Amino acid sequence: MKLCFVTVGATASFQKLLEQILSSQFLETLAKRGYTHLLIQYGKDGQQIFQDFIDSDQPHHGLTLGGFDFQPSIDAQMMMTVEREALNQERGLIICHAGTGTVLAGLRLGVPLIVVPNPDLADNHQQELADELEAGNYVISSSVNDVGNAISRAETQKAEVLSMRTGNTTLAESMSDELGFLD
Amino acid sequence: MPFSFASLSFWDLLLWCAILAITLGAGTLIVLLLSLTISQNIIPPKRRRRGSPTHLLVVLGSGGHTAEMLYMLERMNFDPQIYTYRTYLVSSGDNFSAEKAKAFEAQLGQSYQGHAHSDNYTIVTVPRARRVHQSYLTAPFSTLQCFWACLNVLRGRHPDQKLPKEYSSFYPDLILTNGPATAVCVVAGAKFIRFFLCLAKCAALCLGLRTLSSLTSAPKLRTIYIESWARVSSLSTSGVLLLPLVDRFLVQWPAQAGRRAWWGMKRTQYAGWLVI
Repeated sequence: MKLCFVTVGATASFQKLLEQILSSQFLETLAKRGYTHLLIQYGKDGQQIFQDFIDSDQPHHGLTLGGFDFQPSIDAQMMMTVEREALNQERGLIICHAGTGTVLAGLRLGVPLIVVPNPDLADNHQQELADELEAGNYVISSSVNDVGNAISRAETQKAEVLSMRTGNTTLAESMSDELGFLD
Repeated sequence: MPFSFASLSFWDLLLWCAILAITLGAGTLIVLLLSLTISQNIIPPKRRRRGSPTHLLVVLGSGGHTAEMLYMLERMNFDPQIYTYRTYLVSSGDNFSAEKAKAFEAQLGQSYQGHAHSDNYTIVTVPRARRVHQSYLTAPFSTLQCFWACLNVLRGRHPDQKLPKEYSSFYPDLILTNGPATAVCVVAGAKFIRFFLCLAKCAALCLGLRTLSSLTSAPKLRTIYIESWARVSSLSTSGVLLLPLVDRFLVQWPAQAGRRAWWGMKRTQYAGWLVI
């Protein structure tokens, strides 16, 4: 299984991204790059668009589609994009809005990440974070219309972030100093 | 000429009252600023033996703050043999944070068998400082209510708290927070209590009542604030409010390093990413 997981955020609607994801052109790109599954968390207003697509006879390009509106935690879904041989899982892809929680969770998994800021939401510091992460090569930032082209760029990204995991002891040292432990 | 109150006109009286009020206000402000500056620059003495019981208070907040806090604890390889007792403080109605804290403790229990079980932590709930959409007119009252509840938690008077006997004091040793509104109440409360503990210590010294134990005790109610990973270049509201209050201010982006509340205060410390 090679999964592309798309999340548009639970609070605001992001219909443009949803329409782009369900376009024949995007599905074809996914299929060409070896993806087998597409799972979409479509948010509060997305159900209609998703259902219309399923009911219509538009081509799926061999992809297995799934969708849900909201779940308290999407950790389990994100985990399905991590490479695990025992489960026959290939390294997948996460496409998400610029919500910090989702971006951070994705980075921690070391999965290719495409961040699509929602132009209808003017949240300055979220945009700032997305820019900074793109500049540091941690994520690929893309506009709604360009998502298809961003896939190949995202896949060639190395899991650099995971190498940062080794030994940041600043917090542990700070806590120990404040408590005044004898050396 | 003898002084008589009768000779004072209404305007004279008003003038004197105004001068008195301004002097008192300025005096209080100077004492406050000075004591905050002194307090932040005192290095905690190394008096705690390794392995002695240590009580940690972790302030959790809405979804994002809680997730980041637990990521950080996980990433630092949190050791329940060092931080032997944990109190998690959540706001009322925030079941998500309470559940996450329970899951984190369950995970600790698996990695450190025998050292982390349900007797070694509590989750306490305090009322929210300001609910979403609450009017700003009533917000000061709910903030006061929250502050009072936080004071009670810090003094170990919250009904859900059941600290084991081997802990010499009800005050937590260290407070860890990353920014929900409640954190401001908790840290302000900790400073408030420390101020009075310090006064009591000074008074005992002056009166010759000093006992050796009170002077050699390990530091208590120390506070560490970690600015959210999502804040690249500007501090959050809680961060701005807590900058002069916390003992240590960690930031995760270089542009945030070196800030301070005013001249003579401690600067923010760049720690790198702590959440990954």
